[in-house]
Amino acid sequence: MLNFNSPIQNEKKYNEIKITEVEPTIKINLRSNKREFSTKIGKILSILPPTEANTSSGNENYSLLWLSPDEWLVYSKNKNQNFKDQIELEKKLFNEISKINQGAVTNVSDHWVLFNLKGNKIYDLLTKSCPFDFNEFKKKKGSVSQTIVNHIDVIIHNNENNDLNLFVRRSFSEDLWLWINDSASFL
Amino acid sequence: MSNELRINKNNFIDQTVRISFKFNGKKLFGFKGDTLASALLANDIHLIGRSFKYHRPRGIMTCGSEEPNAIVQIGSDPASTEPNVRATEIELYEGLEAFSQNCWPSVNFDVGGINNLLSPILPAGFYYKTFMWPASFWEKYEFFIRYSAGLGKSPTKADDDLYDHQYAHCDVLVIGGGISGVISAKLAAEKGLDTILIDDKNFLGGSTIYQDEESFKINNANSNQWLAREIENLKSYKNLVIKSRTSLAAFHGYNYLLAREALTDHLSVHERKNKIRQRLWKIRAQKVIIASGSIERPLVFNNNDRPGIILSSSVKKYIDYFGVKTGKNISLFTNNDSAYETAVSLNKSGVNVNVVIDIRENSDSDIVKKAQKLGIKILWGHTIVETNGYKRIKSFEAMKLSSDGENVVGNKIKFNSDCIGISGGWTPMVHLYTQSGGKLQFKSNDNIFIPDETKTPSEQISVGSCNGDFELDDVVNNTIYNVKKFISLDKSSYDKINVTCSKESSKKNIWLLPSDKPLYKTKPFLDFQNDSTAKDVKLALREGFKSIEHVKRYTTTGMGTDQGKLSNMHALGIIADTTGTNMGELGTTTFRPPYTPLTFGTIVGRNVGKFFDHTRKTAIHNWHVDNKAEFENVGQWKRPWYFPKNGETMHEAVQRESKAARESAGILDASTLGKIDIQGSDASEFLNRVYTNAWSKLAIGKCRYGLMLNEDGMVYDDGVTTRLAENHYIMTTTTGGAANVLSKLEDYLQTEWPELDVYLTTVTDQYSTISICGPNSKNIIKKIIPDLNLSDENFPHMSFKDSKIDGVNCRIMRISFTGEHSYEINIQSNYANDVWKACMDAGKEFNITPYGTETMHLLRAEKGFIITGQDTDGTLTPSDLQMDWIISKKKYDFIGKRSLYRSDTIREDRKQLVGLLTDDPKEVLEEGAQLVEDINKKPVEMLGHVTSSYYSPNLNKSIALAIVKSGKKMKGKKLIVPMEEKNINVTITDTVFYDKENKRLNA
Repeated sequence: MLNFNSPIQNEKKYNEIKITEVEPTIKINLRSNKREFSTKIGKILSILPPTEANTSSGNENYSLLWLSPDEWLVYSKNKNQNFKDQIELEKKLFNEISKINQGAVTNVSDHWVLFNLKGNKIYDLLTKSCPFDFNEFKKKKGSVSQTIVNHIDVIIHNNENNDLNLFVRRSFSEDLWLWINDSASFL
Repeated sequence: MSNELRINKNNFIDQTVRISFKFNGKKLFGFKGDTLASALLANDIHLIGRSFKYHRPRGIMTCGSEEPNAIVQIGSDPASTEPNVRATEIELYEGLEAFSQNCWPSVNFDVGGINNLLSPILPAGFYYKTFMWPASFWEKYEFFIRYSAGLGKSPTKADDDLYDHQYAHCDVLVIGGGISGVISAKLAAEKGLDTILIDDKNFLGGSTIYQDEESFKINNANSNQWLAREIENLKSYKNLVIKSRTSLAAFHGYNYLLAREALTDHLSVHERKNKIRQRLWKIRAQKVIIASGSIERPLVFNNNDRPGIILSSSVKKYIDYFGVKTGKNISLFTNNDSAYETAVSLNKSGVNVNVVIDIRENSDSDIVKKAQKLGIKILWGHTIVETNGYKRIKSFEAMKLSSDGENVVGNKIKFNSDCIGISGGWTPMVHLYTQSGGKLQFKSNDNIFIPDETKTPSEQISVGSCNGDFELDDVVNNTIYNVKKFISLDKSSYDKINVTCSKESSKKNIWLLPSDKPLYKTKPFLDFQNDSTAKDVKLALREGFKSIEHVKRYTTTGMGTDQGKLSNMHALGIIADTTGTNMGELGTTTFRPPYTPLTFGTIVGRNVGKFFDHTRKTAIHNWHVDNKAEFENVGQWKRPWYFPKNGETMHEAVQRESKAARESAGILDASTLGKIDIQGSDASEFLNRVYTNAWSKLAIGKCRYGLMLNEDGMVYDDGVTTRLAENHYIMTTTTGGAANVLSKLEDYLQTEWPELDVYLTTVTDQYSTISICGPNSKNIIKKIIPDLNLSDENFPHMSFKDSKIDGVNCRIMRISFTGEHSYEINIQSNYANDVWKACMDAGKEFNITPYGTETMHLLRAEKGFIITGQDTDGTLTPSDLQMDWIISKKKYDFIGKRSLYRSDTIREDRKQLVGLLTDDPKEVLEEGAQLVEDINKKPVEMLGHVTSSYYSPNLNKSIALAIVKSGKKMKGKKLIVPMEEKNINVTITDTVFYDKENKRLNA
């Protein structure tokens, strides 16, 4: 079996902040504007895709993030899921949705890299380069934002109080990791 | 430090912490909390610098950001030295080193001072008039003008300090921490709104915080005591953030504001290490309350610029706040009551107030009465006509004003004084309001411009003296009333507030005070930094300049680092008086950001050094680094450019790499290509509309090259798209075009073709692409994926297979950008590094050679394959590229189709892609070089230019692609490439140079 080489493989701690790369994590992009899509997803993942903008739904295994009126990102909460699980889930979703023209299922597990940010100062850190207004976001568990951090596109998911998941494109991940660590060191 | 000039009575300066600093090399002492200006004054130093034009001695004139004279160079380190820093704004820190500017060899003896003697022949416009002729002399003049221009010295090395940025969003932003700002912030916080209060000083309270005077009371307490309690109370509000040492720099539209927070400028050098020096706040506020206050105006009279002539309110702040006497024998010159507050403060601190010269005939306000009661001498209806003392005021002469105020009468009265506090009234600070797009109205009673609340562009109000309220009761009561209304607050803790204060009972204003000498023999300065006088303004008017903007530029009034904060109103007043115009009709000059200077470091933030630009890296990047690749920036991507071995030059490396690729095997990291996953029942129809060629009949498992056009018919992007399943494709785009293509296609789906059942998902980073080309590519793939049938029958050119490498799914495409038998392995990026290594191991016996973008470009140029963006420039149709074969004649429509049949796009003399061969096969053309037919015909007609050019080791000659006017018809024609040192003869050829029959694809 080939080695899994995620780009960062690191965890850093600073003053009231901890940053961790959480990989491997299964991530699958879902797109559909069909009525049956929600039911299908509900059956497969046991969660319904949220319809309210910038929100998420989830259970103990997965989080499902709203990205646009016809697009969602599902990611696994269980880090122990392996490559096989990823392929199985993708296959199941693909066969139940894409194959019968109910939408599009695309594996993006390696497209995005997941960083977890924890601590009292995570919003002080992000707002150093993120123009998004986090005032409401941080009050509401499960909020989702597609914004930029240091000019780089990211998806941010509010796990709970002062604990969030940030998705960044793999190719930008090292660049963003360096910036996050640099900025965190000055907090 | 002179103990005689420092009193020990206030709470604002920590006189237990002594701080040493240097001014012009001399070691001096001050206290924690001092500004450089207050410390210098405490050391009895008034002469700080020289003026810009006449090099006249100048001293500290104010205590704030409006300071025009006391601007200094801080530090001598070539990396951190900073010019034009206001001594009034910089907090004293241990080790501070400051130098006078605009003087040589010293501020005490400045050779440039000769300009002062020559001043009669250096009026406004001198430079414009003098250096016009003879025209040929301009370059000589320019050398000296440039040498003498500018103030201070720029740093010559990179700034080592750290800066950063921070975004903030709030319900209410209050700008200014004076009494009106503090009241506003408290009201907003009481309402429960997320509030930010910013102030440029390290201590809130503005001028009220040191107004310890019984004539000014709030709820029966002296105003300063009441305010101190209010400031303390603010700390209890969790929804209120107070940012001190934060200066508002710019107020843009829709309540977007920029502010600079000085974080370490007040710390000693060793305390600053590894800390952010300044931070740029980018603030979005629902509502903005401007409480920026007002600044005192000087008075314009003969020789009003001598060191020791200070604004009256600044004299008061230096004594009440910093505990510093600005002189031992101080006089005051005023047209309003403010100077009497200073007189009372000075008296209370034991400083002798020599005399108050007041241009008014009388005033019976409480504060004036109090001054009289204290025995302070007042000369009513008088003006100063002359001042004496070159480097420090020593004395002045006063005379009685005529009843119309235009002349002086009677005898001169001489007073000895080492400081004159002057007060010409107050100017509301409306800069921020106007920056946001707000319009002003003129209030003739006070000769001020204030915000016109009917012409306010966003959710904002101005309160306090920046709104024209100058008396304490008006400031407090109007602020409470207006802010409550603004934030819809019904009841507040201020509803029963009781304010009593001295009220000004008489007003008189004369913009240019008369002297006993004719105007041309006097120097009544308006703009102290640029040495612009009232005479200059009058001269400009005589010479036909009427607009305030023109007068400003002709006389340079208001163009110094203080941006005319002290001079603009007087310039307007003098223009109005001279031309008989109403000041309100004249308007003001434009107030542009920043309100106070920003360092470049603050603007740039952390985007320097390794954070200057963003880099995208492929999953195989570290292997490339380990194997000594030289990199090329392609968009944000770092792509291997070439892999030099044993000290090879790029040329040598590329020759080796390209030979290896053609003779055995080459390997390329092609992961940067854009990849879009396309799914949906209308995916084929979608591709038909997007590309120029037909897609409906593309079999599952096959690949096809496509050209994408803009609506204007010009080539936009290209790439290979593969049909993975009935309704599932994967499209590749150019590296640089990936994001734009996705966004354009998504835009079409959402707006033009909503009926199509198609979904797009970018997978550029999901898959890494490893391209292996050359005669041995098949052998290498066979070693890695033994189970895959690689026969041409099972796996022909332009097809794909799903496969597995070591248990990991992958897609193998048999496509070629080199003309060689090639395979592209697409694998999930987190496994790509191992697959690349496996390919290298498998290819070892075949001398597999990694190559970069330069070799890739050469190999494809040999085959005549275009690179969008290099061989195209947004002005070429497929036909121009000799690719008519890719335009489907049968399709109903595709993006850009109609444009292909416009008269202009079917012209035969358009520029078209051709091949070029040089007569000398070793001569490699420069990309971008022009092509001409007749070098002797003037003007030379340029027929086109070289777009790609290389030396091909496989052909042993130089090859090039070019776009040439009517190129298609010119095959075989000789053209000339004129270069700087020689003309190169070339022949137009076919675009394909190598393997025209495509035999190698199946080799």
